[in-house]
Amino acid sequence: MKLTFPRFGDSNIYGRLLFRELGVDFVVPAPNSAEGLERGAARAPEDICLPFKLMIDNLLSAWEQGADTVIMPATMGPCRLGEYGELLAVTMRKQGCDFRWILLDSISAIGVKELVHRLAQAVEDSLCSKRQIFRVLRKTYTLIKEFEKLEAEVRRLSPYDKTAGSSKAVLRTCRRALEQAEELSEAINIVRQSKKELHSLPRDMSKRPLRLLVTGEIYTQIEAFANHYIEDTLMDLGVSFEKNISIGWWVRNTVLNPFGGMLAEAKKNPLMPHRIGGYAKETINEALRCKKEGFDGILQLFPVGCMPEIVAKSVFDGLAKDEGLPVLSIVYDEMGGEAGYLIRIEAFIDMLERKRDMENVLSGDRCRIGKHGFCCNGR
Amino acid sequence: MRIGIPEALLFRRYEPFIRKFFDNLEVDVVYSGPTNGEIMERGIAHCVDEACLPMKIFQGHVVKLQAECDKVVVPRLMKCEFGDSICPKFVGLPELVGKGRAGSKIIFTEPLYLNDRNKLRKAVIKQSKQIGVSKAKVNDAFRAVEEFVRARKQGECYGAGAVSSCEGGGENTGGITGIHDGAIKVALLGHPYNISDSYANMNLVSKLKRLGICPVTGDELTREDMDEQMTGLMKAPYWRFYRENFGKAMALLKKGSVDGILYVSSFCCGTDSVTIEMIRSRIGDFSMLVLKLDEHTAEAGMDTRLEAFAELLERRRQKSKGTVPFDFLKGEKA
Repeated sequence: MKLTFPRFGDSNIYGRLLFRELGVDFVVPAPNSAEGLERGAARAPEDICLPFKLMIDNLLSAWEQGADTVIMPATMGPCRLGEYGELLAVTMRKQGCDFRWILLDSISAIGVKELVHRLAQAVEDSLCSKRQIFRVLRKTYTLIKEFEKLEAEVRRLSPYDKTAGSSKAVLRTCRRALEQAEELSEAINIVRQSKKELHSLPRDMSKRPLRLLVTGEIYTQIEAFANHYIEDTLMDLGVSFEKNISIGWWVRNTVLNPFGGMLAEAKKNPLMPHRIGGYAKETINEALRCKKEGFDGILQLFPVGCMPEIVAKSVFDGLAKDEGLPVLSIVYDEMGGEAGYLIRIEAFIDMLERKRDMENVLSGDRCRIGKHGFCCNGR
Repeated sequence: MRIGIPEALLFRRYEPFIRKFFDNLEVDVVYSGPTNGEIMERGIAHCVDEACLPMKIFQGHVVKLQAECDKVVVPRLMKCEFGDSICPKFVGLPELVGKGRAGSKIIFTEPLYLNDRNKLRKAVIKQSKQIGVSKAKVNDAFRAVEEFVRARKQGECYGAGAVSSCEGGGENTGGITGIHDGAIKVALLGHPYNISDSYANMNLVSKLKRLGICPVTGDELTREDMDEQMTGLMKAPYWRFYRENFGKAMALLKKGSVDGILYVSSFCCGTDSVTIEMIRSRIGDFSMLVLKLDEHTAEAGMDTRLEAFAELLERRRQKSKGTVPFDFLKGEKA
């Protein structure tokens, strides 16, 4: 048995180390690329969302490398993700790739017993004992947590860098080292080392960068190729931002602490009182937080046709109109042109900066007037 | 108080029950009437750009009613009668159409679980205050509808409204005489709101009939017939209309009672993108036409495709009988 899994975000790093430690034979699909997307889109149904198209290419690439079993998460939500498994299987069979499927469905659909049975299938080749398996899983989670903390700090701190791009470089080197790492403990050490390095960088804390909140659909948020490397773009533009939905967040809320997830769900949200599938409610929750915590604006990312996020966008439209909350919705699909996305993000950031400067002018602080080449104090 | 009920989305499917319920309440009810150009345009102007056509039409109905009524019914349908869900937009319908200040007029936003009698009853009774009717009266009306549901047979209840309403609603029903026993039969599948809205689908049913095609909607199939077709799938599908359309297509195909499948879908429909592909993966080279509806109003493109499909079916039928329909094809064969 040769296991594989679709790529999303840094799942290739975590999955590689996890299965290596467990002693399971596995294949990591080739990174997402424009050619890959084209190949996937040609084989996928026309109206399906972007993640599916990329996953088709991932699995084709894994098949070429000799994989024969796919491990795939699924949900019972009304969102399309739950039906991905079936449709992927059909599409792959049409391409002559007859995989064996391990669908990690939600407990409400298949029950605990079946889920454990399926999980056991994934590690049936492993020589590890149950205890060792749990230890490895815990270590993997530690790695995810540590690495995501590092990422969050880079996002927050990068605009304060004295030499522009140095924080970003630390993250990039760290990620590259993780891809080469041999085992989990080593990987965790790499992350800790990078964190130290990040903290020792020279910073100018007197800068006042914009603070943005990035939210939206989970796949486009965590897979850098799907969102046209928006994080790098934002860091280059000198914006401090937060992004809370990640693999670690998902693991925490659904696997490790479902009770915490339930509590978060029970929290009142007047704009979206019920879960509608996908992560639309979380998107709106984040937006409400944004208002409270003084962020300057929101970026909502989702793939074309994403059903829950369309509803969220509708709520955002109302928020923008009634409360003046600046939201930029960016919809991703097969389109590869970077310029269109870049221009919109730049314009959004310029607008927010100007808005903030105007507010400063109104409150008597004139230090930033004229930055954009015109005077905005009424003369 | 005037209560507005939009005649869009699944209204046709549950129409008898909705009408019965509000008749029993004895409140002032306004129905928005069938879709027309004005409703559609208003919907497009007010709805979020990325939404699909049926949602935009629904928005149009709501906008129209908001001007005339005190309250507008926008139900939040969580689960259908067999426990299947629909699409996330149905669950978030009040959020989708009730943006901004207009949202305060919207009622019936409690989650409705049609598969759970008690939950449904509670949710409906909770609305009594907003409708301005006593709880007891709402309860009585709910009971009456329940009796009504029990009195009807399954086949009568669900979906039967779709095609018959098109026949009555469309003005272009003239010239439908070509239907006879030997007519070409086509399975008309898709979300019920796409099939029953004769404005959105440009009188599809009358068009088919004029071409001498008899649409078969498979409404006589029971839930069990459809569930049978799900065997062999890795995971039981959870969307109501995935199960319904996939089940109908497979059941009709097995029976051999149709010559082709006509799937009516709306542009960028999330659930149909999966359903259509799953049907295609099972039918081999059986004829299937997928019609996508969007905001366009030009009928020529639709007509051409339907005519081509009708001809294709005719030719396939002749071929299977061994007679070649056109002279020039004879030459080709030789």
